[in-house]
Amino acid sequence: MVSVINTVDTSHEDMIHDAQMDYYGTRLATCSSDRSVKIFDVKNGGQILVADLRGHEGPVWQVAWAHPMYGNILASCSYDRKVIIWKEENNSWEKMYEYTGHDSSVNSVCWGPYDFGLILACGSSDGAISLLTFSGDQQWEIKKINNAHTIGCNAVSWAPAVVPGSLIDQPSGQKPNYIKRFVSGGCDNLVKLWKEEDGQWKEDQKLEAHSDWVRDVGWAPSIGLPSSTIASCSQDGRVFIWTCDDPSGNTWTAKLLHKFSDVVWHVSWSITGNILAVSGGDNKVTLWKESADGQWACISDINKGQGAVSNEQ
Amino acid sequence: MAARWSSENVVVEFRDAQATAMSVDCLGQHAVLSGRRFLLMVSLEAPFEAPRKISRQSKWDVGTVQWNPHKAESHVFAASSNQRVDLYSWRSGGGEVHTSLQGHTRVISDLDWSCFEPEHLVTSSVDTYIYIWDTRDTRKPTVALSAVAGASQVKWNRRNHCLLASSHDGDVRIWDKRKPNTAVEYVAAHLSKIHGLDWHPDNEYILATSSQDNSVRFWDFRQPRKYLNILSCQVPVWKARYTPFSNGLVTVMVPQLRRENSLLLWSSLDLNNPVHAFVGHDDVVLEFQWRPQKEGSKDYQLVTWSRDQTLRIWKVDTQLQKLCANDLVEDLMEGMSLTTESEKILPSPDHESATHISGQLADDILDQDGLLNSTGRHDPSGLPQTLQQEFSLVNLQIRNVNVEMDAVNRSCVVSAVFGTIQVRLVVKFPAHYPNNAAPSFQFVSPTTIPSTMRTKIQKILTDTSLQKVKRNQNCLEPCVRQLVSCLESYMTQEDSGAANPYLLTNPVTPALPAFPRVTNTYGSYQDANIPFPRTSGARFCGTGCLVYFTRPITMHRSVPTTEPTPRSLSALSAYHSGVLTPLKMRTESQSTLRLYGGSPTRTDKDPVSISSFYYKERKPLQSGLRRWSMQIAHDCPKSRRFKTKREGAEYGNRPIKLAGKVIIQEISCLLPVHKALGEAYILNVNDIQDTCQKNAAAALALGRRDVAKVWALASAATSLDLSPDCESDPDTDTPWARHPFGRHLLETLLDHYSKMSDIQTLAMLCSVFRTQGCSQMSDVQTLAMLCSAFRTSGCPQDYFSLYGQHAPGRSTQIPPHHSRYPSYTSSSMTSGSCSSTSDSTTTTTWNVGRDPEHIPPWGESSPDDYRYANQPYTDPREREKELHDMNKKLLDPTNTLQFDDFKKYYGEILHRWGLKEKRAEVLKFISCPPEPHRGIEFGVYCCHCRSQACGTQCAVCKRFTFQCAICHVAVRGSSNFCLSCGHGGHTSHMMEWFRTQDECPTGCGCRCLLQSTF
Repeated sequence: MVSVINTVDTSHEDMIHDAQMDYYGTRLATCSSDRSVKIFDVKNGGQILVADLRGHEGPVWQVAWAHPMYGNILASCSYDRKVIIWKEENNSWEKMYEYTGHDSSVNSVCWGPYDFGLILACGSSDGAISLLTFSGDQQWEIKKINNAHTIGCNAVSWAPAVVPGSLIDQPSGQKPNYIKRFVSGGCDNLVKLWKEEDGQWKEDQKLEAHSDWVRDVGWAPSIGLPSSTIASCSQDGRVFIWTCDDPSGNTWTAKLLHKFSDVVWHVSWSITGNILAVSGGDNKVTLWKESADGQWACISDINKGQGAVSNEQ
Repeated sequence: MAARWSSENVVVEFRDAQATAMSVDCLGQHAVLSGRRFLLMVSLEAPFEAPRKISRQSKWDVGTVQWNPHKAESHVFAASSNQRVDLYSWRSGGGEVHTSLQGHTRVISDLDWSCFEPEHLVTSSVDTYIYIWDTRDTRKPTVALSAVAGASQVKWNRRNHCLLASSHDGDVRIWDKRKPNTAVEYVAAHLSKIHGLDWHPDNEYILATSSQDNSVRFWDFRQPRKYLNILSCQVPVWKARYTPFSNGLVTVMVPQLRRENSLLLWSSLDLNNPVHAFVGHDDVVLEFQWRPQKEGSKDYQLVTWSRDQTLRIWKVDTQLQKLCANDLVEDLMEGMSLTTESEKILPSPDHESATHISGQLADDILDQDGLLNSTGRHDPSGLPQTLQQEFSLVNLQIRNVNVEMDAVNRSCVVSAVFGTIQVRLVVKFPAHYPNNAAPSFQFVSPTTIPSTMRTKIQKILTDTSLQKVKRNQNCLEPCVRQLVSCLESYMTQEDSGAANPYLLTNPVTPALPAFPRVTNTYGSYQDANIPFPRTSGARFCGTGCLVYFTRPITMHRSVPTTEPTPRSLSALSAYHSGVLTPLKMRTESQSTLRLYGGSPTRTDKDPVSISSFYYKERKPLQSGLRRWSMQIAHDCPKSRRFKTKREGAEYGNRPIKLAGKVIIQEISCLLPVHKALGEAYILNVNDIQDTCQKNAAAALALGRRDVAKVWALASAATSLDLSPDCESDPDTDTPWARHPFGRHLLETLLDHYSKMSDIQTLAMLCSVFRTQGCSQMSDVQTLAMLCSAFRTSGCPQDYFSLYGQHAPGRSTQIPPHHSRYPSYTSSSMTSGSCSSTSDSTTTTTWNVGRDPEHIPPWGESSPDDYRYANQPYTDPREREKELHDMNKKLLDPTNTLQFDDFKKYYGEILHRWGLKEKRAEVLKFISCPPEPHRGIEFGVYCCHCRSQACGTQCAVCKRFTFQCAICHVAVRGSSNFCLSCGHGGHTSHMMEWFRTQDECPTGCGCRCLLQSTF
């Protein structure tokens, strides 16, 4: 039974732009145009405001929780060109690091898989993507991919930590040699894949299908299968599912999930990577699932029948 | 602020006037006050002079009086008196009725001069007719509109000479004077009587109605079903009229017992709170009119007449006007040349009454205003199609930039001045533009930028335009913005002295100085490359949750839903630029922030917000009222009569919800993995049969019948009866795994559940069949091989420490030294100051005394991987046997890594569920080790000969490697030692010692307790 287990009244003074729960699903972080980030304890259907983080000087677009093995860490990015990394120490949330290396609004932040260490990717409207790696002792190592997307980068999403190439060819017994990869989407209507080689980030693939700005990308979690899947959505209302069964990771095929009538600005994969949540300018959320024969079908309209969204006609 | 609410600068009392109507002439010289006995002519230049009088002597009050708005006829005014309209002419200090219009059979309710034809006057009456008179032929009306119902108001459209509107109780009818038989549009505007009607001064489709039902509503009569916006008041609204400057609105309420007589000035961009209250009149305000602006003056004057028999003139200065405009961009543009008031009206995308373009073009457009249904010029997509339309819609209010557009010659000239740089760019549009035909860009004198720069900018502009026209989109505005950002970055280059030409390769990133400007430019054109913010979204979180947020139910987009959400944040500029038509009005944005006058700390520069894009369709009347009353209390703190209204204050403070709720939904039923199963599943390697059966029962209990069946199959497939004898001869016996019901069956199952993404079933199957593989076949043999392979290397036991304890079925076969005990000892030797009694320390021992380059890490010892360890098989029989062993396994050993990934990922999910023990159970079956320990490692060196030691006795000098500092006996078991001085001993002894002491028991002087972590 799909059921609402909690309704959190955030008391934000302006519109909310992102909401995300932590690894265990016990805490909720929200961010808003009121320039604040709030953290709620939502255990057992409750709602306790844990922190109201002020530090951004503009609307806050997105938040991201790091893997808990590094502590309780939250990253937020804002119109004010800043990325702030917050950390909970002794039950109080403090600014751990503030990154000001972008020249325009930072639109997206995403933590890499824990296997890669504490690494954060940030996409900005200045066209660049920054990668912040915690090198210990309050130090962050910064790598910047300039002009990753002309005009601007709107979204970043990490690839799961899987061993690239054929699984069989992998020398066994040793620690798998992960290759860090992530995907980004931008105002050049492109979806780009990036790969770290010898400590340098290089453009690996360029996926072209959208006819307008790419608003969000989501790399599906891996459950151990050799294929990779990416979802991308765009201002043009289209959602594409990109799959790559090629062990070398070079051949990506696009499948149109659906064309919506308004901008689609968010895609999110379920933990098993078989359900995609799509949301956009029409104020609706739809869930999509791939059937056994490879067709994507809408399995639910979350807001249907709840009155959460009224018809705008 | 306080100074402003008494900003009247002229108060004149005319005690005996008894005037019911008032009008200001189009030159702003005279106001006529019409009473029953005489008309008073007040000179607005010298209001204190005794007014001239025109005798009237009628038993009827004057219903409406209005001066002719045309300068040529500025001496004429019309006054209605019962069923008749008298036309007066006022010349040289005297006036008289020169003609009367008679035709109505009942009292005339309203009259209005046409602002296009000086002779045309419209009158409405209770007799259900609306007459249009030509004053040159006064015998009968030239047009009679039959309304069936009596009209209370009639007003000419201010942009279209054919259109007029009338109000009939709660309805509004729109008429085209060429179609007198029937109204062209009906608007069921209010539930109660409409008292006031006013056309938008600049938009021919928009009008405001004020009604007895306590509201002012704004309409686009093309969409008669839904008002554009609503201003809710506490009391019936007598009149609501647009201001001559942008976005303002003045209201007068129907007097109630409380005697609320002030006029309120509103910004139509923010209808929550009035911008200003004109307080002063002691009685009902009967009429208010704007005095035409004097030449060169930026201030406006509002002339009001009240039943308190005073005429007041209020000054509305530019600051107050700006509050109506309510915007930031305008502040930015203050230095611009083109912001005279008349030019400030920006067209909305929905209509083309553009005023930005001057002269001929504007006239063209006005000339096109014909019948209503001739509006087929609109492109349904909202994109302008012709060059002329693009010119009329283009928004180029950019500082220092001037654009002259010439639609006839299909060209425009962009001139910009940035400090020392001057640029003049001619853009020529080909005939097919914008259908895949890009305009050309040519710099002409007096452009001062170097030619390399010109070429660069030209290329950028061409690229930009090509990108647009490829999609048949217009490109002028983006190109100009591109040009500006190029020039800006060029400027900063020049300023910084660093002539880096590559900066220009990313011209869309204008070099902005510092943060303070950020807040000012939010949503402005500089944000053209920032995506429009998400206002709703959904995200899978944790394991089975979907977190989503949407816009509040009451927040609606202010543009029609057929139009997609803009892609760029710069679209917001249209919503706060003050040059907005009411079509884009919003009500609920930031009202808490904009308590004008209520919070003096608030600067005028209110932040622009994304919520500006949305408006509340229908605000709850109740809260609207209370907020309003709160506002009054704030605005008029000195006014005692408002004190009684404080009871509403606490409601007024209630914030308006701009943020919707965040909803967390449990969707785990949609997922192929189940927490309940994760809890219920067991992995008992001692009894695989039992494990399968119990798991089958668990799956059945949860309703996963398919999985229950799989477990039943697994139970059958792992039956001991099927397993070949461990020592069977490969030549005589085909292993069960080669049977169709063996590996093939399992692979089919795995394939199926891979497609379902059922990682839970996958991982469990892999675990169960892996144990099956291990325990069923050649444990002893593998063990023997391992032992021989690693005998010299020291620590082969570790493998068994993981596996041995779970395979008691073979425990008798394991040589005694492969039990966990020895490894326990070795770990105790090496574990530093941490207590080593738990077997968790086993991982820290792997590298002790080993050289990883020569000795394969422990993971190599897994039987599956053994094959790849490049161990030379000297004996072909051995090799064959190995192959045979592989073939006997139900899980294909070549896919081991993938199976490991299943388990790892399932382990991750179990971790998220908080089922850590279950996770450990599953991860036990991973062939590949977790990441080897990379931190500090502890080694033991013999204290006598300094050679590295392993075990309790030094291999070199044969003495005990590690003596307890207390009892001087070699330590075998649990030990602790100081990291600083290296002394230590039995844990129990150390504990006892340091309970009372803090120095090392050897007397070395080390303060071990402080130095290390005892």
